[in-house]
Amino acid sequence: MRGRPFAAPAGRALVTLAALMLALNGCGGGDPQATPSVQEARGEPIRIGTKNFTEQYLLGELYAQALRAEGFRVELKRDIGSSEIVHQALVGGGIDLYPEYVGVLLSEVAGVTERPDEDEAAYQLAKELEERNGFTLLAQTPFSDQNAVAVLPATAQREDVLALGDLARLRGEVTIGAPPEFASRFEGLEGLEEVYGVEDLRIDAMGIGLQYDALDDGQVDAAAVFTTDGRLAEGDYVILEDPRGLFASQRVAPVISQKVLRDNGPRLVETLDALNARLTTSVMREMNAEVDLRDREAADVAAEFLRTRAPGG
Amino acid sequence: MLLLSATVAVLLGTTLGLLIVTVASQRGAAREAFRSQEALITASRLQGSLVRIENGLRGFVASRRERFLEPAEGALDRYPRQLRRLDGLASGEPRQRRTLADLETRIEDYVALWALPLITLARDDPASARNVVISNEGRVRLAGIDGALDELATLKREVVRDNARRADRASTLAIGFGVGGLGLVLVVAAGVAVYLGRSVVRPVREVARATGRLAGGDLSTRVPAQREDELGDLARSFNEMADRLQVNRAELAARTEQLEHSNAELTRSNRELEQFASVTSHDLQAPLVTVAMYAELLERRHAKELGEGLELVDGIRGATGQARTLIRDLLDYSRAGREQPSLEAVPAGTVVEHALESLAGAIETAGARVEIEGTLPVVLADAAGLTRVVANLVGNAVKFVDGRAPEVTIGAQREGSWWRLWVRDNGIGMDPAHAGRIFEPFQRLNGEEHYAGTGIGLAVCERIVESHGGRIWVDTAPGRGSTFSFTLAPAIQHTAARAPAGVAGR
Repeated sequence: MRGRPFAAPAGRALVTLAALMLALNGCGGGDPQATPSVQEARGEPIRIGTKNFTEQYLLGELYAQALRAEGFRVELKRDIGSSEIVHQALVGGGIDLYPEYVGVLLSEVAGVTERPDEDEAAYQLAKELEERNGFTLLAQTPFSDQNAVAVLPATAQREDVLALGDLARLRGEVTIGAPPEFASRFEGLEGLEEVYGVEDLRIDAMGIGLQYDALDDGQVDAAAVFTTDGRLAEGDYVILEDPRGLFASQRVAPVISQKVLRDNGPRLVETLDALNARLTTSVMREMNAEVDLRDREAADVAAEFLRTRAPGG
Repeated sequence: MLLLSATVAVLLGTTLGLLIVTVASQRGAAREAFRSQEALITASRLQGSLVRIENGLRGFVASRRERFLEPAEGALDRYPRQLRRLDGLASGEPRQRRTLADLETRIEDYVALWALPLITLARDDPASARNVVISNEGRVRLAGIDGALDELATLKREVVRDNARRADRASTLAIGFGVGGLGLVLVVAAGVAVYLGRSVVRPVREVARATGRLAGGDLSTRVPAQREDELGDLARSFNEMADRLQVNRAELAARTEQLEHSNAELTRSNRELEQFASVTSHDLQAPLVTVAMYAELLERRHAKELGEGLELVDGIRGATGQARTLIRDLLDYSRAGREQPSLEAVPAGTVVEHALESLAGAIETAGARVEIEGTLPVVLADAAGLTRVVANLVGNAVKFVDGRAPEVTIGAQREGSWWRLWVRDNGIGMDPAHAGRIFEPFQRLNGEEHYAGTGIGLAVCERIVESHGGRIWVDTAPGRGSTFSFTLAPAIQHTAARAPAGVAGR
């Protein structure tokens, strides 16, 4: 490992061991309350990281609040950065788990450009890859938040740009408002050039979420977006079609350290799996809209969701 | 006095105590201020380390050159110590602790969730790392850390300011207490001085002055002695002493006066006695002379008519002669005591010759042999008085014999600063027990029927010798003769060489 290793605190191993034994007891004895109480008592929190945009904030809050409700101690470290840095933080031990998009995991983290078409296959591949490094994926969400490129309806109509390949038709240099990593991603400039042969593209790097305003202002010709973005719900933007499947399906699965998984027992998995199962595209887009369009706090929106749609309801 | 001392002690103790407390609080404030300063410096260094990390990894990401990471690696080693130090310097105040906890989380997150993953990413996938850096998450995190550090610094500065204010107040208080305490002590000291002056120094000075007056002779001096303390005792003792002194002095004066009175009385009676003797002698002389003259005339003119009556006339003449001798001796005696002798250098040999000449008849009658042994010295004496003494002694020597021929030797001998002159006889001698009495007037040891004389000669001798400053005595035994000795001072010119100092003028 060329990276700087993270030394776990000495006491942690003991805590882990104790927690594991209790967790095993919990399995055998069927006492569901044992594990959380121990977690609480031992005080070694589960550190959840998130990437740097609204949907990730919401997912982080949902995970954290759901786990806290089950008695786990959780530290939420939001806004760490793009997948590249967050995954590196996970590998380095800075966090224990974070919600990741399976497609991004494959293409941007694992460097797999020839991806399975099927979501399930992609998920299994990603999981397999993670498990080689001591990590794993929990159950993925029903919703998929794919990458996309959007243009203004006027542009689409005037220039007849309806698909990604049509971007080449635009005169001169085409500017795309996007987060900086878009420039070096396969599901970014690389793929657009490689798959669609679109050249003369320029990235106007900006924080995620700002690209809509840049598009509205005419500052950029197109914007890199996520398909669950709340602002897409109003129909003010046209998403360019992706007939060659550059942008893979992006269902979300928590990437988690196997050690942490062992330490915390099945309840952790059960809790997150149950939560993820309820996160459909419409649910996600609605929550994103609550935050991005109605200026609500991600924590409040997540809490509301957890409250109103209680498990088993 | 005790109460005053206790009050002073309490005041001083309180002042000192307050001073100690204020100084301690000042020291505490100074220490806290120092800690705060240290914390600020440490915070600044910590900030420097983080900036170095950020700049280093940015340089590394941009250039892929490991040397850009060197300062960042050093800073990554350093920052945990700086953070711990900062933690140690932060006070227990809750806001500081909260801010510090937040700071620690932020820094750990910056390192664990940004710096280290980014370095790893830069090595694995430099292009991705470059794009990640653009997102500026690191700068955002550093800004958050700066905010936390600023907050900590603000809190620390508040602490420093508060402490400085408190220290100032403590200083002011301390100075106030110091000055106040000093003033208080001065006032109390002045009070004590006045009190002492009034209650101690003044009474003592009064006693001292009174002692001076007492020494000067004013025995009536007294000091006030109403106080019940040691000073009162002192005053009372002084007064008692003065009382005793006064009484003693009065007694002494009375006795002195009495003594002077009796002295004067004595002198007067002596003088009267002597005058009486002198006057009596003269007055008695005259009728005796008349009686003797009439007896003479009676014998001469009426010898025939008297017949056997002439014996009676002889008797009258003999009696008047005796009476006249007695009166003359008495006169001599009184004169010898009254008159101071006029002393001069007199050759004793010459005096003895004169005396022997005046006794020539008696010596011849008695058939006595008188010898002079050796050479007689020159003495300091009244020649007439000395002549009488010698004549008297030699006359006695030839008179009191028991039928044998008297042998008289006269000599002189140096004894210390005196010349002893002696007259030795071979006469009847006497009982030494009575030898002292023979120098008293009218004392006669031997029967008057055997030896003529008035019994006053030796008394006269003693008076004369004593008027010269010498003394007279006798060495004798019955039947062994007598040696009469008397002392006289040597004449200056002859004895100066041998005489001890102080003898001159005797």
